[in-house]
Amino acid sequence: MGNRTLIDAKGAFCPGPLMELIAGLKLVEIGDEIEVLSTDEGSAMDIPAWVDKVKHETVGIDQEGEVWHIVVKKMK
Amino acid sequence: MSSPGLFMILCSGEHEKIQMAAMAAAVAAVSERPVEVFVSMNAVAVFRRDNSDGRYQGGEFSDMMITRKAPDALELFGQGKMLGDMKIYACSMALDVAEIGMDDLVEDLFDGPSGLTKFLADAESGQLVIF
Repeated sequence: MGNRTLIDAKGAFCPGPLMELIAGLKLVEIGDEIEVLSTDEGSAMDIPAWVDKVKHETVGIDQEGEVWHIVVKKMK
Repeated sequence: MSSPGLFMILCSGEHEKIQMAAMAAAVAAVSERPVEVFVSMNAVAVFRRDNSDGRYQGGEFSDMMITRKAPDALELFGQGKMLGDMKIYACSMALDVAEIGMDDLVEDLFDGPSGLTKFLADAESGQLVIF
């Protein structure tokens, strides 16, 4: 099982959380996961769409209060 | 099948338009879609090195974006270049009219000057959007 890295993008406006995720993916290994924390609801829709387009994997999306937890697995 | 290129002509210096262009360019570039940006007319002023104090001119939404610290448009262009496939060119005519050169524009963002004819020829292979 890969490692999981946390990216706290709370308070960042679109497309900030997505850009932070992409920068983070450059730094981790294939099979690793990144959990993005975001208060931007649009990013909760945009990130899975981007993940699907570029063939990574959305492991989970959960909302706790105003914070979205989006977990992405690096697949390539 | 690879996505068709996204070609953008920026000719307005209005903050809201520059911001929307930067967002679209950055997201497209990191989504495995090649992006080329052609900066001309009043948009050139936004990219001048000596314009850091009054870089963004706009309306109510511009004020809100600055106050609430929306991602900076020039930083978004930079992220798009760093993380994706994006090229940015300065319109050679606009540089001539403004009597400035590439050295007067912000560092590490531009891939050089270009002419409109060359840009439009390249854009035939993709989709063209004007801001």
